[in-house]
Amino acid sequence: MSLVAEAFVSQIAAAEPWPENATLYQQLKGEQILLSDNAASLAVQAFLQMCNLPIKVVCRANAEYMSPSGKVPFIHVGNQVVSELGPIVQFVKAKGHSLSDGLDEVQKAEMKAYMELVNNMLLTAELYLQWCDEATVGEITHARYGSPYPWPLNHILAYQKQWEVKRKMKAIGWGNKTLDQVLEDVDQCCQALSQRLGTQPYFFNKQSDGDPDRNKTGRQILTPERPAPPRVSQAISLQMPHTPWSAACGTDEVLAIRK
Amino acid sequence: MAAPMELYCWSGGWGLPSVDLDSLAVLTYARFTGAPLKVHKITNPWQSPSGTLPALRTSHGEVISVPHKIITHLRKEKYNADYDLSARQGADTLAFMSLLEEKLLPVLIHTFWVDTKNYVEVTRKWYAEAIPFPLNFFLPGRMQRQFMERLQLLCGEHSPENEEELEKELYQEARECLTLLSQRLGSQKFFFGDAPASLDAFVFGYLALLLQAKLPSGKLQAHLRGLQNLCAYCTHILSLYFPWDGADVPLARQTPVGPETEEEPYRRRNQILSVLAGLAAMVGYALLSGIVSIQRATPARAPSTQSLSIAEEDEDE
Repeated sequence: MSLVAEAFVSQIAAAEPWPENATLYQQLKGEQILLSDNAASLAVQAFLQMCNLPIKVVCRANAEYMSPSGKVPFIHVGNQVVSELGPIVQFVKAKGHSLSDGLDEVQKAEMKAYMELVNNMLLTAELYLQWCDEATVGEITHARYGSPYPWPLNHILAYQKQWEVKRKMKAIGWGNKTLDQVLEDVDQCCQALSQRLGTQPYFFNKQSDGDPDRNKTGRQILTPERPAPPRVSQAISLQMPHTPWSAACGTDEVLAIRK
Repeated sequence: MAAPMELYCWSGGWGLPSVDLDSLAVLTYARFTGAPLKVHKITNPWQSPSGTLPALRTSHGEVISVPHKIITHLRKEKYNADYDLSARQGADTLAFMSLLEEKLLPVLIHTFWVDTKNYVEVTRKWYAEAIPFPLNFFLPGRMQRQFMERLQLLCGEHSPENEEELEKELYQEARECLTLLSQRLGSQKFFFGDAPASLDAFVFGYLALLLQAKLPSGKLQAHLRGLQNLCAYCTHILSLYFPWDGADVPLARQTPVGPETEEEPYRRRNQILSVLAGLAAMVGYALLSGIVSIQRATPARAPSTQSLSIAEEDEDE
């Protein structure tokens, strides 16, 4: 969002309270949604639950195209549409609900850094697993991504998306990584998060903006709600030793997401 | 150890030991840990063992070119700057490096390679002067294309109309990132106390490039100069770990003839080669088009070929 538009939106946002009929759009849960999109959606849901704001989840096959930035999930609040966790957090902050008010500057810096770590490492690893690992692509991703569309559109769209993701991987230097290297990176990242969490229930001792982001990926990897590709279960076995973090993800799930 | 480790990296400029971000970070880490590296400062990436810079040739002959892997290898060889860090500080390192990569790297690429004024006056000028003939004609352009593509993919698909907005957004995020770094550093000497760690090497790489290069449009530079503790941090590391590289700069300025005399034999050779090539082209054209023909055993042919060629020309006209 540009700076002017941002200021404009926050002004409008501040004017109205949170309505009862706010909706969150994502792809079809059972057949279409992929690991990374599901994780993002869970993060937003967790965040809104932590703020005690009611939200209804609606599944649409074309959610990706409905979104203003092309990414899911996005929320429809009043007469505004906001997509992706970052802008949603700012939007909610403009309405007066924020989880990070109690943090000092250094902690805010650390929070931003850890959020970037999750985005950088875990999200990229998820994308790699989904689109660059041939076994997963063939078995799961192609089938799921193109499921709502008729032939031949389902194949074309899936290949197009795969090509896009592979280009991005190459640009950031992950194109030549093998699966084992990616899993090693994921392990490193999880260890870092585990160290940071220690034995606390939340990363900064009380809920903050960054927690949903981290917990969603952890939860996603630990207990996928849809059939996990074989490689992901390998990743899961890597996560098991990091008990503090996995425990935190578990409790958070139980607390926050009740349907 | 069989042979000492050799590091190939971009040579220095603008008051820095190296003008490339990755090379600078690796060099700084090596200096922090006192690793006995043989450093080759070159300006021709094709001379490096892996084709890209920086590249490390280990004592076993293996070549590593990804900066993170170079640092991992140095750690394995017991040159570890992160030895004293607690596990939590190690986690912080990882997190802050991701922050740098996400927020500062796009802006650095944009400042040096995409912003037209900076690119033409500073970056391309330095690379074109430093890289030897004939690579200096196409290599800077190729590097720019690679960086621009990388930037585009990093920032997602944005239509060209809101390129200015994208720029503003990028710089806004970078400014926030710098402020965060400043807050995290506080008044400490290094990020984790009194001894430098790998995070310091990377942060120094980013900040030094932004601070030292004389950029005509340096919007981020102005913001960075406002953050006193980061500036002091940079100058401290530069003076402590790279004291003699600062002396190289005035030398280069005072003797601009210096690099030229080095190229003298190449220049002479290039001149002779180009004159020869020109002569050969002219003579070849003259022979082929019949303006000049070599008189051999049949002199009678010469005028007839000439008249034939003239007749052809008349026909064409």
